[in-house]
Amino acid sequence: MSVESIIGAWVATGLTLFIFSFLYRDNPLFKLAEHLYVGVSVGYTIVKTYDTVLVHLIWKPIVENHEWTLLIPVFIGTLMLARYAPKVSWLSRYAFAFIVGVGAGLAIPRTISSFILKQVEDTVRPLIALVPGEGAVFTWNLLNPASGVNTIIILIGVTSVLFYFFFSVEHAGPGKAVARTGIFFLMIAFGAAFGYTVMARMSLLIGRLTDLIGYADASYGRPTLWLLLLTVGALVLLSRRVKSEPPPEG
Amino acid sequence: MSLAERMLKIDRRIIFLIIGLCTLLPLLYPVGLPIKISPEVRAVYDYIESMPEGSVFLLSLDFDPSSKPELYPQAVALLHHAFRKNLRVVAMTLWVSGTGLADQIITQVARETGKEDTKDYVFLGWSPGGTAVIINMGQNLYTTFPTDYHGRPTKGLPVLEGVNSLRDVDYAVSLGAGNPGVEAWYVFGKDKYKFEMGGGCTGVMAPGLYPLLRSGQINGLIGGLRGAAEYESLIGRKGQAVAGMDAQSATHMAIIVLVMLCNLFYFATRRQ
Repeated sequence: MSVESIIGAWVATGLTLFIFSFLYRDNPLFKLAEHLYVGVSVGYTIVKTYDTVLVHLIWKPIVENHEWTLLIPVFIGTLMLARYAPKVSWLSRYAFAFIVGVGAGLAIPRTISSFILKQVEDTVRPLIALVPGEGAVFTWNLLNPASGVNTIIILIGVTSVLFYFFFSVEHAGPGKAVARTGIFFLMIAFGAAFGYTVMARMSLLIGRLTDLIGYADASYGRPTLWLLLLTVGALVLLSRRVKSEPPPEG
Repeated sequence: MSLAERMLKIDRRIIFLIIGLCTLLPLLYPVGLPIKISPEVRAVYDYIESMPEGSVFLLSLDFDPSSKPELYPQAVALLHHAFRKNLRVVAMTLWVSGTGLADQIITQVARETGKEDTKDYVFLGWSPGGTAVIINMGQNLYTTFPTDYHGRPTKGLPVLEGVNSLRDVDYAVSLGAGNPGVEAWYVFGKDKYKFEMGGGCTGVMAPGLYPLLRSGQINGLIGGLRGAAEYESLIGRKGQAVAGMDAQSATHMAIIVLVMLCNLFYFATRRQ
């Protein structure tokens, strides 16, 4: 076992236990791990961005390969920094305008195509087919297994939920029934989403516990056992200190 | 105070302890509950299984260490399958914070399967721009990634022979923990450059991706640790995900029981 692996195991175990200690109560060990997480994440991102963007995508191509056209995006990007100088901060608007313009131009047509048109098409396609010479033909048939009941359920779900969010008409009479159906579908969707969320959170717990079990091995020096004792001991000491402190005046 | 009232005011740390034990005990003493393969996971497996040797398989590891428990087993299983089929694997990430983890995963699986860097696989690393990276790759892969993660020029690498853009990719899978991820790959990649793609995601994201699956916008979906376990079963290589399934079932059962008990106690207090 390499020294790096052993040190990594001790650090990972310690930080996991410190984070888990929050389940008992907020404490300095949790805060230490939390701040380390934020710091390391930001530090890693800054270093990787510097190395990839500034060194490999800007500096080396310009200096080594003489790709002078790269100076144009570099110039536009540099305008962003003008925000820090109040007198010329207006220059940053050009950079933002460029980003917003390009971003919107790229995203809007693609998003409409993928998330609206394709989804609408899929919602109505099993019911209506385009037949050459005849135009749109209603194709759904209860006796045909290919046109499943799911098709109708999805269509009812989509229309009733859309109607529920249509506030220009009072939800009364038949409209109330449609809106209630929409709520019914929404509740099912929320339930499914919550079920998946529970599964995801439990998966994270399983992942950490699997690592803790692995690090309880003698080849790592049993960091799980030692650091668990340390964490529990620290929590006991901290709770005793809190009890012995006099209550704040007021 | 009645029993129901006392139970509704129970110290939440007792609940944490119950959930912790329900997770820990099956991990220590697994029983091996059966795993049923869902059609959406099988679709990804079947597509890779049908690809001829030497096909280009793009794997985008769009996650960081915070999603490792769910997406790491998916990535390992997919890579094992792709390497076993002798596909040319092109790996990359759209998440800067996941670069090191992605490199570790592909290097580890390649070492286990005896695959050679730049000949059988390449890790392109990360490039800034999110969705713009996908669009650029659709136009020219080499201008988006002039060098791979280790700084070697991508032009001329044996693994990328005949690959100029996303149009030359035979199958792509994005393992996404958020944005950019599976949706971005569909919207700016598959829909525009017309290649087949599947997805893998965290459990939280899975319900939001099912509409894409139903409409055929993605051909398959591996959802969360459960999906990873199904894929591990399909390739016959049981790993971390399968090992975690007993614990997952036990915690789900515990949560169902707790929800039912809470409702019982709640209605009991209302009746009083």
